[in-house]
Amino acid sequence: MEQPEKLELLRSTESLPRAISELRACKIIPEPQVREICHKARELLIEEANVVQVDAPVTICGDIHGQFHDLMELFRVGGDVPDTNYLFMGDFVDRGFYSLESFLLLLCLKVRYPDRITLIRGNHESRQITTVYGFYDECLRKYGSANVWRYCCEVFDYLALGAIVLGTSSTLEPSFTDQSQAIEPVDDDVEIEIMNSRNEVTARFPRSRRPLFEPEALNSSPPGTPSKTGPSGTGATSDAGGSLQSGGGSVLCVHGGLSPLIDSVDKIRLLDRKQEVPHEGAMCDLLWSDPDEIDGWGLSPRGAGFLFGSDIVKRFNYLNDLSLIARAHQLVMEGFKEMFDSSIVTVWSAPNYCYRCGNVAAILELGEDTSNGGIISRSNGDAERSLQVLPTNDMPRSGPGRRYRVFEAAPQDPRGMPAKKPVADYFLINSPIAISIRTDFRLKDKEKFGGILELEDGEQESTGASEPEEIPVPDIKKGDVFII
Amino acid sequence: MATADDVPSAPSLEVWDQYKWHTFVEPLKKINEGHDVSAFLTSKAYGDIMTFLLQLNRAMFPSYVQSSEPNQKRSAQTWELGSSAVTFSETIQCLRSLLEDLNQIIDEVPPDTGPRRFGNASFRRWYEEVEERTSDLLYRHLPPTVLEFPMIPGDEVTPAGEIKSYFLGSFGSSQRLDYGSGHELSFLAFIGCMWKLGGFDASNLGNEERGIVLGVIDPYLQLVRRLIKTYTLEPAGSHGVWGLDDHSFIPYIFGSAQYGPSILPKDQTPTEGSLEGAPDPADVAKKTAVDRERDKNMYFGAIGFIHDVKKGPFWEHSPMLYDISGVRAGWGKINKGMVKMYNAEVLSKFPVVQHFRFGSLFSWEQDPNAAPAPPSVHTSNQPVRDGPRPSLENASARAPPPPQEGTKAPWASKPIIVPDPGIGTAAPWANKPSTMPGPDVGTAAPWATKPTAMPGPGVGRAALWANRSEVSANAGLPSTRFPQPSLRDPGATLPRTQMPLRAKDGETDAGNMPPPTEAPWAR
Repeated sequence: MEQPEKLELLRSTESLPRAISELRACKIIPEPQVREICHKARELLIEEANVVQVDAPVTICGDIHGQFHDLMELFRVGGDVPDTNYLFMGDFVDRGFYSLESFLLLLCLKVRYPDRITLIRGNHESRQITTVYGFYDECLRKYGSANVWRYCCEVFDYLALGAIVLGTSSTLEPSFTDQSQAIEPVDDDVEIEIMNSRNEVTARFPRSRRPLFEPEALNSSPPGTPSKTGPSGTGATSDAGGSLQSGGGSVLCVHGGLSPLIDSVDKIRLLDRKQEVPHEGAMCDLLWSDPDEIDGWGLSPRGAGFLFGSDIVKRFNYLNDLSLIARAHQLVMEGFKEMFDSSIVTVWSAPNYCYRCGNVAAILELGEDTSNGGIISRSNGDAERSLQVLPTNDMPRSGPGRRYRVFEAAPQDPRGMPAKKPVADYFLINSPIAISIRTDFRLKDKEKFGGILELEDGEQESTGASEPEEIPVPDIKKGDVFII
Repeated sequence: MATADDVPSAPSLEVWDQYKWHTFVEPLKKINEGHDVSAFLTSKAYGDIMTFLLQLNRAMFPSYVQSSEPNQKRSAQTWELGSSAVTFSETIQCLRSLLEDLNQIIDEVPPDTGPRRFGNASFRRWYEEVEERTSDLLYRHLPPTVLEFPMIPGDEVTPAGEIKSYFLGSFGSSQRLDYGSGHELSFLAFIGCMWKLGGFDASNLGNEERGIVLGVIDPYLQLVRRLIKTYTLEPAGSHGVWGLDDHSFIPYIFGSAQYGPSILPKDQTPTEGSLEGAPDPADVAKKTAVDRERDKNMYFGAIGFIHDVKKGPFWEHSPMLYDISGVRAGWGKINKGMVKMYNAEVLSKFPVVQHFRFGSLFSWEQDPNAAPAPPSVHTSNQPVRDGPRPSLENASARAPPPPQEGTKAPWASKPIIVPDPGIGTAAPWANKPSTMPGPDVGTAAPWATKPTAMPGPGVGRAALWANRSEVSANAGLPSTRFPQPSLRDPGATLPRTQMPLRAKDGETDAGNMPPPTEAPWAR
């Protein structure tokens, strides 16, 4: 039994670069190869923590939803893998035409460059959601069976729930493409820079001096209690007096948002994530919740997850030493939207969503803090807190420097028109209706019917010859499914 | 399938006896869990809906006009939008002005211009206006035969009181700012109510149906498109590009009939072939052809709207319609397919029909003539509520309650994955509204049986839909997502009870509604 296993893995390493180039050309790869890649990816992902630790610099991306050509545009704008370190916050699949190609490409890149790309789970990376919102239909349509969908769903179960970005810089490094152009260095005081897809700066915002979250209410420890000084989000403590306070602080990345059941990043680490997304509970909330202009928690109109207000975010960030939460999950017309005094940002990376929303997309670049020799520091913008110095309102906020690259939908012309596929069986004459049932059942049906299916018009036809009369079906084998 | 040649092959919806008193009731929701869909499929309401739909559909096929000259070739009379060959009865005129009034309310309620994510919250104001004026609108525009239908003295619910529910359900969800085929179904039922109450001229068979489709349903679709565009309404539940259309279904049925082959009154409704000179189905992907046809044909009207709102290659954003455009057996075949698909993807889908309400006109009562509903993928894999809430009407008929989900800590065990024991390869999603056939499917394949009884009353012939198709969810229709708030008990989920809970449709987030993914298990 061991020999084929080894062989398989060997084959997989050899074929990976080819699979990547096929997928980059937006072509689907053979089913056995999908199986291998998913298998390999699972081996990798199983080793990852629920909250992956990612070092800056990193480019954070939101929902993709099968918009393959726009994903290519994203790579053009943000730099290719492995040159750029990426973090994708889920929702690779559903709604779009190319969920398979998009997800498999990202997965191949993950297998090929595990340290240069991080994938976390979105609410659409789920069996139940993909049967409702399109990915299941797409797999059946493109492969004629649900096998590939099943392989992908098994990978979904192993995706991390979140990521924490450490070592971000509070200042902006010049953009990676700036080097060719004589662009003046970015002013240290710039907190946010927005660039378009032609690499032109469209806006810059200086570091503002806005009121900070008042921590007193939360600080119930008696004076002199050592504050937490381990890496952000770990809850580790020491009384060493804290590390150096430079840098942009830590950024938590999660698809949806917070959960009333989760008050620390450590609690996320305790979840058993290797399962289908539950209908409720902490794991569900992380993938489904939305920030909203409310106080506290509210019911979500989505029927899963919750709404949470600015007080929840600020409290969470304070308690976990975070300077920012980056999340996706909601369409924003401008591609990104910062809320609650920049304590949380929504990043959306699917331009002209569903071919009709007319929105632009964005990715978020966080630079690396090199001022400290690369040593990871902890700060949530609440500088000097560990020295018991309360911040005052006119101190500059010290979140990470953020560069948003905004881009539009990829141009359409390179896409040719494909051959028409066999239509759904509703439109086929003499189609035994059973035809729409998954392939592995067809075999069973055949056994049960003794190879004969009775057709709706009362005619009988051998199951083997049940191809639709008016549509040639060149690449579909007998017994396969012709469903869309 | 044999019918006597001279019998008109189209059944029509029964018109109630105007000389009998009737008890009207406020329509109620009956489909509360997935399994209720089976009961729906054998209810009188279901039979009535399909009968009415097919009656309208048949009327839209071109008709042969027998020439008075003997050896002259018979010519075809088509029923295009705006055709002068269709006369609008008084009732149809009234319904047109009703729709016109609704259009004017859009003018009164301009969309918000402020920052927002997607759906425009002004739609809520439009809907409130309509809600407020409903009684007035109905009394002003519905025919007296309907409004004054004899009701038992002392009854509280008037005919208009019952009809109102269908009318108000026809224009999308004001809470979720979305619109889908469930709302379209409600409008069909609204018209059906008036048909049953004698509001239409049933003596002029054919013409009246055409008047309804061209003179009422098409303007309704125009109104809905304007609502969608004005308030950027979301598709109510969506298979993304893998659905037929984001919002509508019936224009594809009636529109394909308009291009179908010509028929005589005694002919059966065609299932293949096309009208001579009808455009090639492949023309849907050509913008010039669509622009040429969209004002005449409802299929192209719907496609035209897609071209208006979507940017990108047609085959990519509408692959299903693109593939259907490759059907070579003609518009008749497309029409038949659309009816089958409507039956499977709209009427048999829990997310869509759960909102349908049942009263005296569209009745939840079981139809004794109905073909038994097979335990189909639609019904056996429907989502279930956290707690069983049996409806008395069909309590005995229902299958044992499916495994329940819910109150246990979700991470304590693998969630909601209960493989169907009857299936060897039963997959973890077997309990989901997916494509997995229930254990009975296969042993008694419902599609293997000959069409038997007709769901509709007073109909002797097996109908197109009698042979219920077993179709998987993947046929990809924009089935409606659930426009209602979560039923989850927040107290059970949230650790702290004092957590402020807020009704979602308040003002604070007005205009800030994204097109979110809805949890399919949400109610």
